[in-house]
Amino acid sequence: MTTMSISRSNLWEVSSRTIVYSAIGAALYGILLVAQLPIPGSTVSVRPAFALVPFFGYAFGPVVGFFTGLVGNAIGDQISGWGALTSWNWSLANGFVGLLAGLAPLYLVQWVAGNIRQRAIGGAIAGAVAVVIGFLFVFTDTVISGMDVGTVISSEYITVVVGDLIGTIILVPILVYAWEPVKAQLGR
Amino acid sequence: MNIAPRYLGRGSWLARRDPRVLVLVIALFIFTVLQVWDGRVVFALLLVAIAYYQTARIPWRHIRRNWTIVFVFIGFLVLVNMIVTGGDVRSVSVEHVFFRVPLLGTPVSAESISLAATQLMRYLAMATVGFPLAFAVAPADFGVTFARLGVPEKFAFGIDLTFRFLPSLGADLQTTIDAQRIRGYDATARRSGPLSRLRNAVPVLVPTIVNAVAGAEDTIDAMDMRAFGTGKRSWLRQLAFDRTDRLIIGFFAILFILATLAGLAGLTTRLWTPELLIDLAGG
Repeated sequence: MTTMSISRSNLWEVSSRTIVYSAIGAALYGILLVAQLPIPGSTVSVRPAFALVPFFGYAFGPVVGFFTGLVGNAIGDQISGWGALTSWNWSLANGFVGLLAGLAPLYLVQWVAGNIRQRAIGGAIAGAVAVVIGFLFVFTDTVISGMDVGTVISSEYITVVVGDLIGTIILVPILVYAWEPVKAQLGR
Repeated sequence: MNIAPRYLGRGSWLARRDPRVLVLVIALFIFTVLQVWDGRVVFALLLVAIAYYQTARIPWRHIRRNWTIVFVFIGFLVLVNMIVTGGDVRSVSVEHVFFRVPLLGTPVSAESISLAATQLMRYLAMATVGFPLAFAVAPADFGVTFARLGVPEKFAFGIDLTFRFLPSLGADLQTTIDAQRIRGYDATARRSGPLSRLRNAVPVLVPTIVNAVAGAEDTIDAMDMRAFGTGKRSWLRQLAFDRTDRLIIGFFAILFILATLAGLAGLTTRLWTPELLIDLAGG
């Protein structure tokens, strides 16, 4: 598997590289989540660490993206004491964001295969699409917690999506720009 | 920066159980609580959760902050839900209204208060059962636990690897922060807008992520040289359920079955409102 040049055929490949990148992404996401513990609810909470999830998905594929979001969020919950599985639906929502960003080669073919500027913009678009769609899974809170749809929209979905969209659109292109020369240097 | 799961329940009765028990109990208990809306039954389940939590012997002084966050978070959600839900209280036809929230006009009734109290107890019960997983399972056991619960070997190894990366990546993050501080970066600077906060995060976030990914080559090479993924993996830690483990899982499985049957019969799926509250509301 090579990074940032994932083709349709090797999207679902699970090699040692996939596992190591997944573990690094999840560990970093968990650490950064704990390091900046966002205040829930009241206002739009920007979580710079979240940009990791769409970036890892976009750069290393849907498997890595899904693992980074799912396990990273669970690890963050685990370290902060909430328990890895208590908010399992939120961890899955994070995982879906990474997964959808990783599927960019299927719906952003020209951007992903273009020059570095196009790939950076493609990362922002893929991340934004993934955030908006992936976090729809938090509507399971209407069943799990008995929350009203209005409550989920106002205090959960919009709060998280707006904050994470800002972070994703700004940080993912920066990360793509930073990673591309390193990738070339490493010979990949 | 010391970021690692805290094994505070070490040596406790619950920590001596097979770690799969703690995972299975959470799954069974959450799906039990999900089916119950009768506040009396939810209260009984909360008591079960507290009794289970006590066996982990997690020192209160170490997790006071965690519980504060839980209470604030849950309290906020329940309060917002009570205000937003308004007159739609789980299909209750007649509401006994105390007063209406100024400006919004949302009725605060005996039923909406009962719903809020039930939701609060449901959340607390789920969080209470979730805490032991955070503090009473040895971090090194998570990989083998999920592997033995049926998660594919490669992903279970990924979970194991994630826990092993935590301390070193935490140290790398601190090193990056220190290096940027020497260059004039102020991590504690108060930023007002979201864009300023993002801009402040870039000098730390980008080098930490890029260095971590670039440094992964050694681990990948080591795994490849040991033929990772070519055959079935063995784990150093062996897990086996004992009689007590089976009893605990059996108990929570019975709770789940009872809740499912009661739910199908419509016994516990309806909101319960205390007569006292209805009387107070002038009903």
